Amino acid sequence: MSADLVQILDGNTFVVSDARGDIEASLTDPTGLFSFDTRFLSKWVLKIADERLSPLSVDNLQYFEARFFLIRGTGTVYVDAKLSVIRQRAVGDGFLEQLTVLNHDDKAVDVAVRLDADSDFADLFEVKDALEKKGIRKNRVEDGRLVLGYERGPFVRETWISATEPAAIDERGLSFALTLEPHGEWKTDVNVVTALSATGERHDRPKYGSSNREPRPSMARDLDSWLAEAPRLNCDWEPLTEAYRRSLVDLAALRFTTRTMPGHALPAAGLPWFMTLFGRDSIFTSLQALPFAPELAATTLRALGERQGSRVDDFRDEDPGKILHEMRYGEMTAFEERPHSPYYGSSDATALFVVLLDEYERWTGDRALVRELEFEARAALNWIDEYGDLQGNGYVSYKRRNEETGLENQCWKDSWDSISYRNGALPGFPRATCELQGYSYDAKMRGARLAREVWRDGAFADRLEKEAAAFKRRFNRDFWVDDGGYFAVALDADGQKVDSLTSNNGHLLWSGIVDKSKAKSVVRHLVGPALYSGWGIRTLAEGEGRYNPIGYHVGTIWPFDNSFIAWGLRRYGYKAEAAKVAAGILDAAQFFDGRLPEAFGGYPRTLTKHPVQYPTACSPQAWSTGTPLLLLRTMLGLEPVGDQIAVDPALPRSIGRLELLDIPGRWGRVDALGRGRIKT
Amino acid sequence: MTGRSTGGVQSPTDSFFADLATRRHEPLLKSASGSVQFDLVDGERLEHWCVTMDKGDVAVSHKNAKADAIVRLDKATFDGMASGRVNAIAATLRGELVPEGDLGLVLLFQRLFPAPEGADGAADLVARRAR
Repeated sequence: MSADLVQILDGNTFVVSDARGDIEASLTDPTGLFSFDTRFLSKWVLKIADERLSPLSVDNLQYFEARFFLIRGTGTVYVDAKLSVIRQRAVGDGFLEQLTVLNHDDKAVDVAVRLDADSDFADLFEVKDALEKKGIRKNRVEDGRLVLGYERGPFVRETWISATEPAAIDERGLSFALTLEPHGEWKTDVNVVTALSATGERHDRPKYGSSNREPRPSMARDLDSWLAEAPRLNCDWEPLTEAYRRSLVDLAALRFTTRTMPGHALPAAGLPWFMTLFGRDSIFTSLQALPFAPELAATTLRALGERQGSRVDDFRDEDPGKILHEMRYGEMTAFEERPHSPYYGSSDATALFVVLLDEYERWTGDRALVRELEFEARAALNWIDEYGDLQGNGYVSYKRRNEETGLENQCWKDSWDSISYRNGALPGFPRATCELQGYSYDAKMRGARLAREVWRDGAFADRLEKEAAAFKRRFNRDFWVDDGGYFAVALDADGQKVDSLTSNNGHLLWSGIVDKSKAKSVVRHLVGPALYSGWGIRTLAEGEGRYNPIGYHVGTIWPFDNSFIAWGLRRYGYKAEAAKVAAGILDAAQFFDGRLPEAFGGYPRTLTKHPVQYPTACSPQAWSTGTPLLLLRTMLGLEPVGDQIAVDPALPRSIGRLELLDIPGRWGRVDALGRGRIKT
Repeated sequence: MTGRSTGGVQSPTDSFFADLATRRHEPLLKSASGSVQFDLVDGERLEHWCVTMDKGDVAVSHKNAKADAIVRLDKATFDGMASGRVNAIAATLRGELVPEGDLGLVLLFQRLFPAPEGADGAADLVARRAR
């Protein structure tokens, strides 16, 4: 995707345009107005006297609002600097475009303004694959508006376009004939509405419309109050303050509301192409954000609980008790050409659901939610043994049942070559990756606590703890690579170790499944030269067969991965090592203006003076956005203990003094302070 | 397994609700409290089915009262859902059913529809474990 594209969004409605504000969808530039995974505008081109305009500048006012300053002429030669155009656009149930044409001349002028409009109503899944539409597209002019329409049986999608100033409307767009006085201006509001969409709701105007213009749009007020609710950070080291603010604003943009819970938001996975409910991504991000915005976790738990699997469905890789992987709303999902209604092909989200529920209660004391979700949490715990253990060997493993459109790798490292032996060979399926076992262990331990303290079921708690203890013993025996002193990334279908050295070891610390006696060796690897680059911990160690510093899961560094590893290091008491990991990632954040990418290159820091970004289409990515938040927690050593919060700072020296004020939780609001003392 | 057609005169819809009515308690609905009404369009006829849920206790009736959620659809579509041929969420995205009101209740209710015919995940699982 071109770097100069402009994105604005509200929930899962978003606009991607070029720097002029124009939309001309093509395979290389997937621009458009999108809502609920459907493109509602694929063409939106502004012309004056039948000519395209040139951008002078773009203001990204807020994540939901942009302003384009345009001038006539192309390239560097301006035909006419006496006329300029401002397009201001705010997204929500479509968008409102406020169009202003300014005459800078001392003579009156006639101007022909044209907006070309069309839509291909492509499903997001089709945008990249350029598939043929199976339904009928038909545009019409009706009641003073242009209606772009698409129909496939009962599946109907419509875009409505109208203007507040008189316009000649035809099936291809809107024309305005105007006369501008000397130094005069002309304005119109153009409403582009996603009138009929996947929700079944009908809209007849954009959310932030011209008829209810307010001094500040409600979304701006909402952002202000979101920022005001979050803890305040004071820090000597400016880059951290910047990364913190960037994270909070991006997290606000990533909020997604499902129709079943209006007014409540959860974190979607990434902007703009992954603005939907994901099991794994929404849970990890909610965990990272718990000390800052705990309501995200509550909504995530409810939304995932409501959609928990209840039957065996091979197409959706669904089992009773399983937590979903991804929900989509587009045409291909509707007609079951894709399994995302929702798709359940994730082997970690179910255990992580229980982990989040427990961690949420520890922070907030919200036992009502733990009671409300008792059935779902028990069903999730049951899934681990009943369905997650595919081979009957006691370990959770995955092998997709939907061979056509399902996901092959159902762990967070979901690319085709992410799980390999030292020599680079790939194992067959099922694969029992090690972190899945860690999450399962943690889920049982945490489930036991919930059972004992909230559900008042001591027998169930005892059973879970007993199972967990036995499981931990077996795991430490079966996954341990003796001659390496670390845990294998997986067991293959024959129960043999997939013996490469990976960052997954850090997740095992986070889950608490590592025997105390083995932790030291694991930590030595995590911060040793094969895994630690100076910026962060690589997904796969240098020296392994498939190692590639710019390979997606085989050598790049994932900030989110590192934030959970830092948490794991703290869990086992390795404070200095946790601070070192935090320092590297936060140093890297400076090179991305405080916005950590999904992943960056695994080159040694001594080789590249800056972290090399891995090219991905989505930014911000939710769990990268959550990374500075979790790192703040690990550096300050924040941990709920009963009704209090413990603070045990271990900060890199470079950070200096750090205060996090008004941390919300079951204790009300408290402050945490620390001073950097650790040399990293 | 619920709602399997018994063959003969009873439609899958009728046996689904009949089966649900006899159960009285359904753990899958433990988190649901409220009522969902299905307005089933069968040619000229409109059939109402109302399900009241209270933390897992369920009651089925034909009454056409004010429900927390109302779902309107063709009876043929409900027959499909009740027999595992039609996935309720995909059908909603297609526009075949139009839910109004408390959509969370509808989402919880759809847990009761049976697995697709021919889903062999469980059998497969057993086979793999037996290896």
